[in-house]
Amino acid sequence: MSSISIDDVKKLAGLSALMVTDSEAAALVEQLNEILGFVEQLNDVDTTGVEPTYQVTGLENVWREDELIDYNLSREALLKNAPDSQDGQIKVKRVLT
Amino acid sequence: MSDQPTASRQKYIPTIGIECHVQLKTKTKLFSGANNDAREAEPNTTVSPICFGLPGTLPVLNKEAVRLAVRAGLALGASINRVSRFERKHYFYPDLPKGYQISQLAEPTVGPGVVTIRLGDGSEKSVRIHHAHIEEDAGKLTHPSGADYSLVDLNRAGTPLIEIVSEPDMHSSEEAKVYAQELYLLMTYAGVTHGDLYHGNMRFDVNVSVAKEGEPLGTRTETKNLNSFKAVERAVEFEIARQTKLLEKGEKIVQETRGWNEDRQQTFSQRSKENAHDYRYFPDADLPPIYLDDAFVDEVRSELPALPGVYRAAFKELGLDGSVVQSLLARRTYADMILDLQQVHGKQTATRAAHWLSSVVSDEVLVDTSSLTTETLAELSAMVEVNELSSTAAKEVLVEVVEHGGSPRAIAEQKNLLQVSDEGAVASVVDEVLANPANAKAVSDVKAGNDKVIGFLVGQVMKKSAGKANPALTQKIIREKLI
Repeated sequence: MSSISIDDVKKLAGLSALMVTDSEAAALVEQLNEILGFVEQLNDVDTTGVEPTYQVTGLENVWREDELIDYNLSREALLKNAPDSQDGQIKVKRVLT
Repeated sequence: MSDQPTASRQKYIPTIGIECHVQLKTKTKLFSGANNDAREAEPNTTVSPICFGLPGTLPVLNKEAVRLAVRAGLALGASINRVSRFERKHYFYPDLPKGYQISQLAEPTVGPGVVTIRLGDGSEKSVRIHHAHIEEDAGKLTHPSGADYSLVDLNRAGTPLIEIVSEPDMHSSEEAKVYAQELYLLMTYAGVTHGDLYHGNMRFDVNVSVAKEGEPLGTRTETKNLNSFKAVERAVEFEIARQTKLLEKGEKIVQETRGWNEDRQQTFSQRSKENAHDYRYFPDADLPPIYLDDAFVDEVRSELPALPGVYRAAFKELGLDGSVVQSLLARRTYADMILDLQQVHGKQTATRAAHWLSSVVSDEVLVDTSSLTTETLAELSAMVEVNELSSTAAKEVLVEVVEHGGSPRAIAEQKNLLQVSDEGAVASVVDEVLANPANAKAVSDVKAGNDKVIGFLVGQVMKKSAGKANPALTQKIIREKLI
């Protein structure tokens, strides 16, 4: 049975851009291992010949024709959701260079 | 160790694989109905809540993007997967508001294929395509100089792309460049992309490693975001030299992502975050799978325009040089005109026009050739055919027609380029030349049977007539008079 270590939690937190304190990480190790243990039960089921389930809607080829849709939304309205903006663009902490 | 010296003198063999992002020419984005053409648009004006990754939005696939991806696959001689799916590729960067890019991994729409490339020495080579997948582009970041912030424009976010992944089948910078050029021809002829390289419609990532012959592949670097064929060639060249030098010094290659500095013509290390490649792909449950049946694929195939191969096969009959064919293919309107001429006016006219156009292309004399028609080319060719125009003069007329319009004949007359084929007129110039004491030696040489000297006399007549005397007629008259 696989289990999650504190390093795994820290790595995942890093990849997910989440700040996690040491005590939170320790708690998460416990909780994630419980979840993993629960999901592990699936390993007891014989899935020979069963196709993987990617989705449960049974839908296929849900697509639209290539036509413009007017979303009737101003740039200002969309930018309202950003923490900060400038010159019609989203303003973020400097990345690279 | 007796074989040590030999081994170190052994040459390093480069191995190159290329990933190419091609922007599909749809009207709207991959998963939203926002405008896909943002070239002239203000930042964040061709966007929708989907492009912004707002909570509660649902992506809906653009059918045209699937059609174009299948079309690209057919152009790459690739198999089309009857079932394909979208997956989420996770990473955090401000140009990606959802925190994941919708892409394909395990089951891409386009399977393995093969692209034939032609090298400078006339040889051909196959480059295998591993697969091509559909994915959405990210937004654009700008970093105002001196500022402690970056700005995000999401106009490009959600633009449909296909990423064509080659096998590591190339072994020189020339092969890499020619492969990139061939992909460009295939994708533009197939009508998959606008192919505007300046606006980044096709971007290349080159994976380069070097290793001694017979040894396993070396550690590779990936130089990203090259947007010209020259940059592909130079970046590969630079990486081969850099890596070879490091290995010769006994150092190791670091597997990393590198960028290309166009000004310095150098690649440089881009510090990428640790584990940046741990993308934690998983199926995107918002997007049902794509099932393509024969009818769908056949319909796309029936709409597939003529690819470069069709033109190459037709041009073979004209006996054109590889470089002439390549320069014609680079401007599709030219290739179309030559094909047209070949079908309507025959081989000779087409061959003549092919040479004019290819020299005009390579000299880049003409920028806007939209006014050029096959009729003009056919008329010019006919004038050369009956010796009214020399081939050189015809090219001059051609440039004039394209730049200022008008009929070829009127321009030839106006520029005084028509050859004199009036026997009496040519004969009188010949008489003058033969009577000139400076040519006495040549005249007696010809009379004595030295046939080669006739060329000299023909040249004198051409000179005196300012290039307008018909050379064949001139030679005939000289012969009649001297022999």
